[in-house]
Amino acid sequence: MIDYLYDGTFEGLLTCIYHHYYTDKAAGIFPREEYQPSMLHGFMEVETEEDKAARVYEAIEEKISGYALRMVYRAFLSDAPGKETVILKFVVLGFRIGPSIGSLHARPEVYALENLVRKVGNERERMLQFVRFEVMEAAGTSPVAATGAAHDVAAAGAADGELAERHAAQILYAKIEPTCDVLALAAHHFAERFSHDPLIIHDVGRNKAVFAYEGDWYVADFDGTHLPDGTAILQSDDERSYQSLWRTYFDHIAIKERTNPRCQKNHMPVRYWKHLTEVNGLTGPV
Amino acid sequence: MQKLQILADSAKYDVSCSSSGSSREAAGRMGNGHMAGICHSWSADGRCVSLLKVLFTNKCVYNCEYCVNKRTNDFPRASFEPDELARLTIEFYKRNYIEGLFLSSAVEVSPDYTAERILQCLELLRYKYEFAGYIHAKIIPGVSPEILHRIGLVADRLSVNIEMPSSKSLAAFAPQKKPKQIFAPMRQITNTLIETRSLKGPGTMFKGQRLNTEANYLGPMGLGENVMGQADESDPGADLPVLARAAGAPAARGKGTFAAAGQTTQMIIGAGGETDAGILATSENLYRTFKMKRVYYSAYIPVVDSPILPDKQTAPPLKREHRIYQADWLLRFYGFTVSELFRSGGENLDPDLDPKVTWALRNLDLFPMEINTASYEELMRIPGIGHKSAKRIMHQRRFAAVRFDDLKKMGVVVKRAKYFLLCCGRYYGNRLFEPETIRNSLLQMESGLQLSMFDNDWKRIEEGERQEKLAAAGVI
Repeated sequence: MIDYLYDGTFEGLLTCIYHHYYTDKAAGIFPREEYQPSMLHGFMEVETEEDKAARVYEAIEEKISGYALRMVYRAFLSDAPGKETVILKFVVLGFRIGPSIGSLHARPEVYALENLVRKVGNERERMLQFVRFEVMEAAGTSPVAATGAAHDVAAAGAADGELAERHAAQILYAKIEPTCDVLALAAHHFAERFSHDPLIIHDVGRNKAVFAYEGDWYVADFDGTHLPDGTAILQSDDERSYQSLWRTYFDHIAIKERTNPRCQKNHMPVRYWKHLTEVNGLTGPV
Repeated sequence: MQKLQILADSAKYDVSCSSSGSSREAAGRMGNGHMAGICHSWSADGRCVSLLKVLFTNKCVYNCEYCVNKRTNDFPRASFEPDELARLTIEFYKRNYIEGLFLSSAVEVSPDYTAERILQCLELLRYKYEFAGYIHAKIIPGVSPEILHRIGLVADRLSVNIEMPSSKSLAAFAPQKKPKQIFAPMRQITNTLIETRSLKGPGTMFKGQRLNTEANYLGPMGLGENVMGQADESDPGADLPVLARAAGAPAARGKGTFAAAGQTTQMIIGAGGETDAGILATSENLYRTFKMKRVYYSAYIPVVDSPILPDKQTAPPLKREHRIYQADWLLRFYGFTVSELFRSGGENLDPDLDPKVTWALRNLDLFPMEINTASYEELMRIPGIGHKSAKRIMHQRRFAAVRFDDLKKMGVVVKRAKYFLLCCGRYYGNRLFEPETIRNSLLQMESGLQLSMFDNDWKRIEEGERQEKLAAAGVI
């Protein structure tokens, strides 16, 4: 029995699972930076190896199920400490039982993983709810070119000159601080919904962002002020007025006689308020 | 700015905010529909903000007693221009503030005049601005069928407010709105939904049945007039053909282009003298007759002085509204009927316990049910078990017996359910199996669990106070 330490990537984690079967039984898997040596087991730093990771990846998909693989990936995105060991136990049990593991909700290994998956799913849902875009303009160059999206502006321009011009002049930019690393899970939703506008969803805590345009998206490092090619982005002129319109609307849609801040906060936890246009700057419930 | 303020203030008493039930691909346009719906924010009253809910205008020629916009109420009035509102919707949508637009309106000049303006706005939004997000449009009673049809072609959901649970109240409080005017558009919507093969019905009420058949087609003598509990003999509505078809409007345009998310309505609770049983009977009729997706209820909030309404000091009956919603869910998703819920037990729901528990206590001879042998429908009737946990139980039973300890992990509210079930032959309630005993233990539990939903004395803890409390508790 041995503790495996990995580099924090999904491939790294899968490599550790590979070693669990071919090197030495794993007592637990931990991220390298956070590991506290244990008295009971030795530890080994695992070098991430693509081919070993790929073998485990495919084995989970074939021998357990595609659904299990998706669960494992979602659980990996969680911020819960100890998630690696939970995944390990689930996968080990899965290899023993096979596809039916998905219905054994009461097994502790499955239950623990399902909890992680549920939390990540909730966090993704919160992203869809609470992302607030600001309309930005890129200083100088065309923002579409600057986001590095694969599609050609000219092609869109040919289809509908006026619309493309209006859309191409702006970037949608949002800041978020999700607890779990759900950027990639939410990207598709926004990329599809706002395919006319280049958009950036910036995970402030992890210093990375989703860049999307015309339905395509990718995740890259981002510092919040400059696009990948170095262009600065600035708030557009009428952004302020729409924000204050939204705030006005928000304040007036509440029914005074039914005021229920507790219910409000249950649905919209205060930790998200920092980036919510409608409550930002308001000191408390009205 | 001022305008938005006024028209949001006027619209806020409309209850529905759901953005679900319609899924649409962006296909080059802006936005899409998300099947499950998305709430984007919650206002200070704890109600979700999913759609931009505004009135097109609050200038009203009607004088409904309960309504904040009644003609004789002296307060600021405003109207949108169609393009102005369409642009505002787009700008809000783009910033991910909203899922779409909920457009209602007071009646300015005449129902048709107002509906034309609404239609103009919605068509601009859909065609000029290529908006593919969600649109919920209120239909004003008395609107002409042609306009209604065209609104349906651009909206995801249509609703006609029934306003009052009985025709008696309607006559008393909204004398200018006639049941006939309300039911005619409802019927037209249901029929058009059948024609476009997109009638889905409420919850799981008609699960497994084919709804889009001739048999469900509501003829001119449809049951509509009886929905509110009494037949309106003077006005059988015989002169109301199914106009969508009669007017040569495009029938059966293929898949779900007409109000894909179906039809809803809303009524006010606590303004007239109806009992809970009466209210729910009306809802059940609406569900059975018009196959509506939902009926919304809104606790009456005294916004205007009126000699025939509760006075302005009356608190809105929030708890009653809550219980009615719970019962409504039992109708739509749990296979209950109204007569079952009220059999041998008064005209009103028990304010202290939820309607499923009340029903179970009255029918204790059906319990305790063995978890491992009960059918899905039976499981759904056990308090504390919902459709998710019932499905999980059914699923696991195929592989292994369900043990008591498993129930919690499956999402069963064990605290409530344990009095009504057996697990592998054993009873876990630890109490005499009598209605009174169980009721008391449940009440004790609920008082710790649910009271908090409605208490108003909650206050924000200041940072200093929080530090003090933590220090006192020895945390810091």
